[in-house]
Amino acid sequence: MTMINKMIYVHIPFCDSKCYYCNFCSANYPQEIRTKYFEKLLEEIKFNSNKNFEVSSIYIGGGTPSSVDEKYIQKILLAIKENYIIKSDAEISIECNPCSITEQKLFAYKSCGVNRISFGVQTLNNKQLKQIGRRHNKKQAKNAIKLAKMCGFSNINADFLIGIPNQSYFSLKSNLSQIIKLGVTHISAYMLINESGTKLTKLIEDKKVKVPTEDKCVYMYNKMVGYLKKKNYHRYEISNFSLQGFECKHNQGYWQMTEYYGFGLAAHSFVCGARYSNTSVMDEYLNFDFNYQKENLSNEEIIEELIMLGLRTQNGVNKHTLKNYGYNYDDKKEIIDNLRDNHFITEDEDYIRVCEDKFGVTNQIILKLL
Amino acid sequence: MNLRQSKIRNFCIIAHIDHGKSTLADRLIENTGTVSKRDMSEQLLDSMDLERERGITIKLTPTRMFYNYNGEEYILNLIDTPGHVDFTYEVSRSLAACEGAILIVDASQGVEAQTIANTYLALDNNLEILPVINKIDLPSADIEKCKKEIEDIIGLPADECPCISAKDNINIDDVLKQIVECIPAPKGDVQKPLKALIFDSCYDNFKGAISFVRIVDGSVKIGDKIKMMTTGKVYDVTEVGVFTPSMKQVDMLQVGDVGYICASIKNLSDTKVGDTITNAENPCEHALPGYKEVQPVVFSGIFPVDGNRYGDLKDALEKLKLNDASLNFTPETSIALGFGFRCGFLGLLHMEIITERLEREFNLDIITTAPSVSYHVFKTDGEMLEVSNPSMLPKVSEIERIEEPMIKLHVYTPPEYVGAIMELCQEKRGEYIDMQYIEKTRVVMEYKMPLGEMIYDFFDALKSRTRGYASLDYEIYGFMPSDLVKLDLMLNGETCDALSLIVHKDKAYTRGRQIAEKLKKVIPRQLFEVPIQACIGGKIIARETVSAMRKDVLAKCYGGDISRKRKLLEKQKAGKKRMRQFGSVELPSEAFISILKTDDND
Repeated sequence: MTMINKMIYVHIPFCDSKCYYCNFCSANYPQEIRTKYFEKLLEEIKFNSNKNFEVSSIYIGGGTPSSVDEKYIQKILLAIKENYIIKSDAEISIECNPCSITEQKLFAYKSCGVNRISFGVQTLNNKQLKQIGRRHNKKQAKNAIKLAKMCGFSNINADFLIGIPNQSYFSLKSNLSQIIKLGVTHISAYMLINESGTKLTKLIEDKKVKVPTEDKCVYMYNKMVGYLKKKNYHRYEISNFSLQGFECKHNQGYWQMTEYYGFGLAAHSFVCGARYSNTSVMDEYLNFDFNYQKENLSNEEIIEELIMLGLRTQNGVNKHTLKNYGYNYDDKKEIIDNLRDNHFITEDEDYIRVCEDKFGVTNQIILKLL
Repeated sequence: MNLRQSKIRNFCIIAHIDHGKSTLADRLIENTGTVSKRDMSEQLLDSMDLERERGITIKLTPTRMFYNYNGEEYILNLIDTPGHVDFTYEVSRSLAACEGAILIVDASQGVEAQTIANTYLALDNNLEILPVINKIDLPSADIEKCKKEIEDIIGLPADECPCISAKDNINIDDVLKQIVECIPAPKGDVQKPLKALIFDSCYDNFKGAISFVRIVDGSVKIGDKIKMMTTGKVYDVTEVGVFTPSMKQVDMLQVGDVGYICASIKNLSDTKVGDTITNAENPCEHALPGYKEVQPVVFSGIFPVDGNRYGDLKDALEKLKLNDASLNFTPETSIALGFGFRCGFLGLLHMEIITERLEREFNLDIITTAPSVSYHVFKTDGEMLEVSNPSMLPKVSEIERIEEPMIKLHVYTPPEYVGAIMELCQEKRGEYIDMQYIEKTRVVMEYKMPLGEMIYDFFDALKSRTRGYASLDYEIYGFMPSDLVKLDLMLNGETCDALSLIVHKDKAYTRGRQIAEKLKKVIPRQLFEVPIQACIGGKIIARETVSAMRKDVLAKCYGGDISRKRKLLEKQKAGKKRMRQFGSVELPSEAFISILKTDDND
C-alpha cells in the first residue's frame, strides 16, 4: 500500500510560563519529564517509520520548542531523517520565543536542516506584552529576528495578535513597520480569541483589563491588511501574509487537506482519509502504546472540512472536489447565488472564494454553504 | 347509612398559592402511616418534576389514608387541589367529590385572594370548611391577627381552629381529629343503582383511559357493565381500585369511596370529567349535575423549532391532552414559523407549564408566539369572527368593530400599595369599580380590565410594585368594544406574521417602539444589515437596525487539530438550526416570546 503522507508535525509541549490567552496543551514540566517525553517522542517517530513517501514539510511547534535544549531538536530531526524520506526542498519550521533563542540554538537548528523560523512576537509594545503574559520585550523580539538573519535564515515569520488589551491601530502599524524593516518574509496575524478558562478571559470578566471591541478589532485588521498589501505581503490565507514565494507550505498543506503525521502530546494526524489524535495528558502519553484514537471521516465530514479549510485560502474551495464527495449544488444554488450577488463570494468554473473584504466573516459564509 | 360508610371522610385542601397545601398533605399522609417516612419524597402528591420544582400543584392527586380515632378506624380520602388562579376550574372539580375542605391560611400572610376565592367555591359546593392556621413556626407568624381575619373576612369561627406547622410537623393530629369530628360522612345509599362522579381522568398505555370517581350511590366491581350517562356508551369494568397514593386494585368500590375505574376505554374523551357513571343493567334515574365546560382564555401559537418535528409535536400535544382536558389545539400555519398549532390555555401559568412539559417530557424544541386573547371581530357584512391569532385579523376596511374579553379583577393588598396598584391598573386600561377596607390592614380593590392587558406581565408588575404583598383573583366578565389595532413587525422589509399583535390604539406606538428595541437585542448580527420596523396599517412607527456582523473566524489551527475546528463549526451549525429562517433573516426562537416581555423597564 502506498501512503501519500507528506507532512510531519512535532509537538513540544514545554513552556517556561503560560501566556494569559493560551488554552493550548503546554506547561512548564520538570526536567525528568522532559527527558522521558523526548524518549517517547523519538520512539513514536520510529514506530511510524515509513519510507514509501516523501516529506514536503516538517513543523516543530508548541509550546515553545526554543525553550528546550537544542540537542532534542537535533535528535528529532535526525530520527525523522532516518525513518522517512525528506524531500530536498522540504520546508522545516520551528516556533521560537524571542527570549529563549540564542545564536548557539539557531546554528544548531540550521545544522540539522531547519530553514524557517517562526517567532511569537505578538506585539512590540512592552505594556501590551506584559498584559498578555509574554516573557519577552520589544528589544528581545527585534534582536531575535536580527540574530536569525545573521545566522543565515532567510525565511522568517512573525506572529501577531490583534485585539489585545490597549492595542490601537497606530501602535499596530508602527509594530508592523519595524518588523518589516527587519526583513521578515511572513506575517501571521490572528484575532485574539478569549477562550474560556484562560487567565486573560478571567481578567476581562473581572474587568481588570479591557480589550478592544469587536468592531475596533475588525477595523484594525482591515487597516492592517491594506498596509501589508502595500508592503507586498499578500494575504494567501485568512490570517497569513507573505512576500511572494514565502507562503508557509506546512500551513497551506493543512488547508489543502494534505496528509500529515503528528507526533507528540496532543498532536493530530491525518492519514489515509482518517484523523488520529494523541492524548493531551502527559502521563498517558508517557505510557502510550501507539494505539491511536481514530476518527474515520464520512463524506459529509470531508465536505465540511473541504469547505471550512478551502475557504480560508485565497485559492478557495475546489468545486469539482466537493462534487466528487457528493456536495449538492442544486440544493445550495439559491444560497450561493445570494452570497455571490451580495459580494460575499466569487465563483468561477473551478473555485468558490471568499471576497477579500469578507474574510472576517468566513465562518458565517461556511455555515451557509454547509 | 351503614357502619362502613360512617367511617369515611372525603375532603380536600384549599389555600392560596404557597400557603403550604402540599406540605400539609404530605404530613397527613406521613402521620397516618400511609406512606412510610423512608419512601416519602418531599411533596409527595406533586408527582411531576415540574410541580416539585416550582412548588405548585397542577394535577389533582387523590390519596386514601387510615386514621385511628377513639379506637375506631376511619378512611380519610384526600383530594389535593391546585392553588393557582389559572386552575380554579380544577379546584371546583375536586370540591364536588368531597364533603369537607381544609382551608389553610398562612399565619404570617393572613387571608389572601385565593383563600377567599376558594372559600366561596367550597361554600357553593356546600362543603364543611375547617380553617387551619399554618406556618406558626415563622417568626412573623401572628396567630391572633390571622384568626381575626378568618372571622372578619371569611366569616368562619376560628376559635378552635388548629394552629400548625406542616413543615415542622406541629399539631398535625389536631387536623386529623377535626377531619373526623367535623366533616360529615358521605351520604348516599349502597342499595341504590350505581351513581359515580368522574372528577378527573388520566391515560395509561396499558389500562386505557382511567376514570377517577367518587361513588355517590351503589357500588361497582370487576365485571360490572357500566354506562357513561352523557355518551350512553357501555363498558365492562376491568379493574377498580383506590389511591395509596399509587393506584391499588381492590375488589369493590362502594358508596362514599374515592377510587378509580378501568374499563378498557380507548379514548379519554369517553371518560368526560363531570360525567356520571352508572350500572348499565340497573341504571340510576338522573345524572349528577356535572361541571360546566371549561373555556380557554389565553391563546398562543406553538411551533417546532425543527420544522420536521411537526408530527412529534402533534403526538406530544395529543398525549398531554389525554391528561389535561383543558388544553385545546388546532393546526395553524405561519409564513415565519411554518406548520404548528394554535393552542388554548386556562391562563399564562397553564401555558408555561404546557410548553415546559413539551420541552422536558417530549424533548421538543419549540417556539411559542406571544399569547393573545380571543377577540370578537364584527365585520361590516354582519359576520362575527372569533380571532385569537393576530395575523387572522381581517382588513381594517372590513371591520365594523372589535370587542375584547374583559375580566373583573380583585386585588387584595395592604393599604399602602393602593396608589401603586391604581396606577398600574390605569396603565393597563383598568376601570375602577370599587374599593373596600375588609379590615384595617387589608383592602380589596375591584377593577374591570381587558384580559389582553392582564396577560402581559400584569402579575409580575403587581408583585414588583407591591413587594409581593398584593394577591389577585379574577373572573371573565364578558366582552366590550375597544379601539384595537394590529401592530405588525417587519424584518428586512417583510412582515413577520408570527410577531404581529393586537393592541390598543393608544398603546401601539409605545409598544411598537419597545418591541423593535427588544428585537434588536435578541436578533444576532448577521451577514446583512437587518432593519426592524414596527408598523400599524402600513404606517411605520418605529425603526431599529441590527448592523451587519463583522467578525466570525475560527481560531488558529494548533497542531493540526482540524477535528476540533470541525466540531466547533458543527456546534455553530447546530445553533443555527435552532434559528428560524425568515427571508434572509435568521431569527432565534426567543425573538417570538421576547415581545411579551417589553413592559416596564428592563
